[in-house]
Amino acid sequence: MSYESPIRETLVTGGKTYADVTNDILRPLEQKATKSWWFGFTLSALVLALWIGATTYTVMVGLGAWGINKTVGWAFDITNFVFWVGIGHAGTLISAVLLLFRQKWRMSINRSAEAMTIFAVICAASFILSHMGRPWMAYWPVPLPNAFGSLWVNFNSPLVWDVFAISTYFSVSLVFWYIGLIPDIASIRDRATTKVRKFVYNFFSMGWNGSTRTWHRYEMISLILAGISTPLVLSVHSIVSMDFATSLVPGWHTTIFPPYFVAGAIFSGFGMVLTLLVVGRVVLKQENYITMGHLDAMCRIVMLTGSMVGLAYITEFFVAAYSGVEYEQYAFINRAFGPYWWSYWTMMTCNLIAPQVFWIKWARSTPWFIFLMSIIVNIGMWFERFVIIVTSLHRDFIPSSWSMYTPTIVEVSILIGSFGLFFTLYFLFCRYLPTINMAEIKSIIPTHHADHGHGQAAHGEHAKKGDAVHG
Amino acid sequence: MDTDKLHMVNTPRKEMQFMDNKMLLGVYDNPDSTYAVTKQLVKGGYDVHDVYTPFAVHGLDRVMGVKRTRLSIAAFVFAMCGVASALTLITYASAIDWPMNIGGKPSLIGPDYIPITFELGILFTAFGMVGCFFIVNRMFWGRNTDVIDIRVTDDRFVIAVNIHENKTDVKALEGIFVTGGALEVRERVKEI
Repeated sequence: MSYESPIRETLVTGGKTYADVTNDILRPLEQKATKSWWFGFTLSALVLALWIGATTYTVMVGLGAWGINKTVGWAFDITNFVFWVGIGHAGTLISAVLLLFRQKWRMSINRSAEAMTIFAVICAASFILSHMGRPWMAYWPVPLPNAFGSLWVNFNSPLVWDVFAISTYFSVSLVFWYIGLIPDIASIRDRATTKVRKFVYNFFSMGWNGSTRTWHRYEMISLILAGISTPLVLSVHSIVSMDFATSLVPGWHTTIFPPYFVAGAIFSGFGMVLTLLVVGRVVLKQENYITMGHLDAMCRIVMLTGSMVGLAYITEFFVAAYSGVEYEQYAFINRAFGPYWWSYWTMMTCNLIAPQVFWIKWARSTPWFIFLMSIIVNIGMWFERFVIIVTSLHRDFIPSSWSMYTPTIVEVSILIGSFGLFFTLYFLFCRYLPTINMAEIKSIIPTHHADHGHGQAAHGEHAKKGDAVHG
Repeated sequence: MDTDKLHMVNTPRKEMQFMDNKMLLGVYDNPDSTYAVTKQLVKGGYDVHDVYTPFAVHGLDRVMGVKRTRLSIAAFVFAMCGVASALTLITYASAIDWPMNIGGKPSLIGPDYIPITFELGILFTAFGMVGCFFIVNRMFWGRNTDVIDIRVTDDRFVIAVNIHENKTDVKALEGIFVTGGALEVRERVKEI
């Protein structure tokens, strides 16, 4: 049907048939939860409890529970927010941008990456809510007719743009993810053995029947959703960067921010995808679907985007020097050699220098090393946001306002706890939904013709034992 | 075999639904035979009801004569609705209803409206188009569908051909199915 280039490595190894795909990918859902799943889930849930506790404490006590002060008004909260939103971006990039580029290797990883997007955006949104201090007023940035003197929101503010961008991004990602899930949910429905399972998956399968007419429309909307998600994902992180770039704070007020944030988001997102999949492919026994070729491709993207981010760091320095603006120049010298020098150099090491090892083939083909690198990338990208936010703010225009920022135990708990929130959701996803898009994977594996000759088939002859047949 | 009697393709679908819904199914295990047999059946004038597959088989829709969906037009219309809504809201709120003096800048500023206009355009497109997709497919949460054969969501491809009393030559149809490599050929009644 489609031409397969012999130069490319096969995307799915192990000579899988269609039935093998269904069996392999649905095994974690259909068998009893394994000990490793319970261990991971319990651990995540405990960390989630920490998040609930720390966030509740913040809401009850107020932002005085945090280390922020008059000078450093944004710190851990917005660092974590940008960090999580950035992580989310790889999911959309994989499913949308790689779909438009017809990169078929995306099919093994897009489902889990999109799930990661949704959970990461949930984590990010939680920081938006908690950093408001009074989360019950979270509806204020929404343009609603109100009794406060008919005052509308300021549509010129990037913070209002961000409300629209993040909520659109979250809901469109959710729709895209769900649309991709429907055929697979139908597969689970048709194999369900228990009543509850049958009911739940039947409910969410929306009556999917695999008709060619439906598939025809499905292909069309998938393409359009990918088409609109691509500029969407670029716009979201551009708008996040404008939260900073449209201000007058030295170190923030730069035009390079939108592309630099987008590259950073892809970089950190792929870091997290690697963290999840290097482990996930082994635990869920999916090595034939998420092959070393997939890891290799992702490592290359990490290296490319890491270098782009590194280039942006250096460009910022150059522009500051070249601009002749002393505040700008001071902000950058302070970043690298001021009191927070350690965070700057952590960022530089993790994001620019470390990913260069992926030039070496060994580094791209050794799972434990890739895992280690993915953690380094995550740390580096968290520090990037910390550097941008805290080091730019802590030296104000008036030296008498200069101050230092130290996080409190509450803030650190919320940060650690947000990983609990993320991983709890991710573990639930692995247990109840297929982590690989079966319908797409089936379309790229080679066809296995049954070994019987033509003309031998008769009524119901080949119906396998245990294969229930309707009608 | 009277081939004239096989030409049912032009019969309006609505009419057929009430006439009968008896079908002959050919079950296959690969997309290539499914494609070839469907092509042959459509050419031979059989009333191919639908082909059910575990994944999108490219080209099958064209062979079946499925018209290009108009969902892309719907998407564009929704996008324009989103853009119009955003511009109306922003212009009304910031320039007509309650103009704010922010640093002496004018209330009606074009470029600042681009991000929200863009985002709402995307939001309306996604939800409107997907909503239409569900409507045309008659898909909704909790729908109990009569799946033609539950293996089509796993590894089987089913071609369903409508049988019309005294018009469809079932024997010949069976022959085409079997020669095309069908694993199984059977009759069933489907509620449409």
